Amino acid sequence: MKGTRIAIAPYVLIAPAQLLVIALIFIPALYVLFLSFHTSSFGAQPIFVGLQNYAAILNDGYFWRALTNTVIVILIVVHAEILIGLGMALLLASWKWGRPAILAIILAPYAVTEASAVVIWRFLFDPQMGVVGQALTAMGLPTLEWAVEPMHGLIMVSLLSVWLHLPFTFIILYAARLAIPTDLYEAGAIDGATPWQQFRRLTLPLLLPAMLIAMLFRYIFAFRLFSEVWLLTGGGPARTTEVSAVYLYLEAFRYHSFGTASATGWLLVLASFGLAYVYLRSIYKEMFRGQA
Amino acid sequence: MAKRKPFRIASLFKLLAMVAVCFWSGLPIALIFISSLKLPRDIFASPPSLFFTPTLDNYARLWAEAGNIFQGLLNSLIVTIGTMSLAVLVSLLAAYAYSRYRSRWLSVSAFFLIAIRLIPPIVITIPLFPAVNALSLNDTHFILIILYTAFFVSLGTFVMRTFIDQIPRELDEAAIIDGATRLQVITKVILPLSAQGIVAVAVFIIVFAWNEFLFAFIFTSSFAKTAPLALAELNDSFDGVQWGVVFSAATVQLVPILLFIIITQKYLVAGLTAGATKG
Repeated sequence: MKGTRIAIAPYVLIAPAQLLVIALIFIPALYVLFLSFHTSSFGAQPIFVGLQNYAAILNDGYFWRALTNTVIVILIVVHAEILIGLGMALLLASWKWGRPAILAIILAPYAVTEASAVVIWRFLFDPQMGVVGQALTAMGLPTLEWAVEPMHGLIMVSLLSVWLHLPFTFIILYAARLAIPTDLYEAGAIDGATPWQQFRRLTLPLLLPAMLIAMLFRYIFAFRLFSEVWLLTGGGPARTTEVSAVYLYLEAFRYHSFGTASATGWLLVLASFGLAYVYLRSIYKEMFRGQA
Repeated sequence: MAKRKPFRIASLFKLLAMVAVCFWSGLPIALIFISSLKLPRDIFASPPSLFFTPTLDNYARLWAEAGNIFQGLLNSLIVTIGTMSLAVLVSLLAAYAYSRYRSRWLSVSAFFLIAIRLIPPIVITIPLFPAVNALSLNDTHFILIILYTAFFVSLGTFVMRTFIDQIPRELDEAAIIDGATRLQVITKVILPLSAQGIVAVAVFIIVFAWNEFLFAFIFTSSFAKTAPLALAELNDSFDGVQWGVVFSAATVQLVPILLFIIITQKYLVAGLTAGATKG
C-alpha cells in the first residue's frame, strides 16, 4: 500500500504546474506547428499547403530585414550588457561605502515597465528638451533621429534595452564575484600579483561560468524583443526597424495571415532551442545522471 | 610613498566610474519624477531647469483627463496578486515533489518544464487569441493570471526547489511518523521553513506581472486593461505635447513597484541568482 502512495503523490503535486504549461504553452505551440503547414485566417477552415508558408516568409524581404535587425540588436545588447555588467560588478565588489544604496540604484531600472522606459529615453534624446539631446547639439554632434533613420531607431532600442536589462546581467555577475573567496585574492597579493594579473588569472576564469549563463539567458530573452520596438517605432518608418516578434505580430494580427505568422513563430521556437541547446543538454545530463 | 600616487589616481577613476554608473541607472528614473512636477514651460526650458516651482498640476490633469490609468493600476493590482498567489501555490507543490521524490518520469517532466519555458510568448498568442475569444475569456483578469503563471511556474518551481532542498528530509519523516499527511507536511513543515524562497519567488513574479506588456496588449482592451498598456496608449494619444501628464502617469505606475523592490532587494537578488544558476 505504501508503495502505491509514494508512486502517486509526486505526480499529483506536479499536476497543476504541468497542466497549466501543457494547456497554455505546449498544446498551443504544437497547434502553431500544425498551422504553419496550412493557410488560415479568422473563421476560415485551415487548408493544408505543405511548406508554402515557410517558402513565403523566406522569400519575404521584410522577414529578412526583421531577422537582420533582431540579430543586430541582440549582438549589441547582450555583449554591451555583459561588458558593462562585469565592470559594474567588479567596481561595486571593491567599493567601500554605501553599497546597499548603490545596489538599489543599480537595480532600479528592473522595476521600470517598457512603456515608461520608452517615454524617458525619447525624452532624454529629444533635441529640444532632452538632457542628452541638448548636450549632443551643444557639442555640435548629430542627435539620434530614431523616428527617421532606421539605424538610429535600432540604436535607441538597443540603448533602452540595455538599460532595462542590465540589472539582471549585473546581479548574476555580482553574485558570482562575491562568491569568490577573498583568501584567493590575499594569496595572489602575497605572491605579488598585479591587479591586472589578478583579474586575468583569477577573477575572469572564476566568473566565466556566470558570464556564459547570463549571456545565454540574455540571448534567449533578447530574441523575444517586442515591446521596446513596438512602443518606440512600431517597426517603422516603412517597416525598416521591425524585429522578428514584431513581424510575427503584424502577420498574425494586422494581415490575419495565421499560416505565415505560425511559420515565423515556429522558426523562432527552433532558433530559441538552438540557442539553448548546450544549456538544455547540460541540464539533461545533470538530471538523468545515475539513472538507467 | 612612490606607490601612493597611482593608487590615488585609481581611486579617483573608480569614483568617477561609480558616479557614471549611478547616473546611468538613476538619472532616467529621477527625471521621470522631476519632470512630472514641472509645468510645460519648465519641461521645455533649455538648458534643462534645475530650479523650478514644483506643481501637482500634471497629476490633477491626469486624474481629470486620463482617469483610466487609475483603473489600469487597479487591474494591474488584481492581476499581480492573482498571479503571485497562483504561481506561488503551484510552484510550491511542484517544487516539493521535485525536491523529495526521484523517478525517471519525474526527471522527464522537470526537463519538460524547463524546456517549455524557452518558447517565446508571442508564438502561442497566434492560436490562443481566437481560442480565448471563443471562450469569452478575452479582456478578463483571469486569462492574464493563468498565462503569466504558465510562463513563470517553471522558474518559480526550480527556484523554490533550491530552498526546499535545504530543509532536512528528517523533518518530513518525523512529521509523517507523527501521522501527518503529505499535504500537512507541506503546509506545516515546508511552508514556514521555506518562507524566504517563497518571498524570493513572489518578488520576481510580482515585478513581472505588474509591468508585463505583450499579453496585456493582445488579450485585454478595456475592462481588464492593465497600467502598462494604459500608459502606452496615453503616451501615443498625447504624442509630444503632454509630456508632464505622461510623466505623472509613469510615476504613479512606477513608484509602488520601485519601493517594493527596494524593500525586498535581498530577496530579489536571491531569487534572480537562484533562477539563473539552478533553473
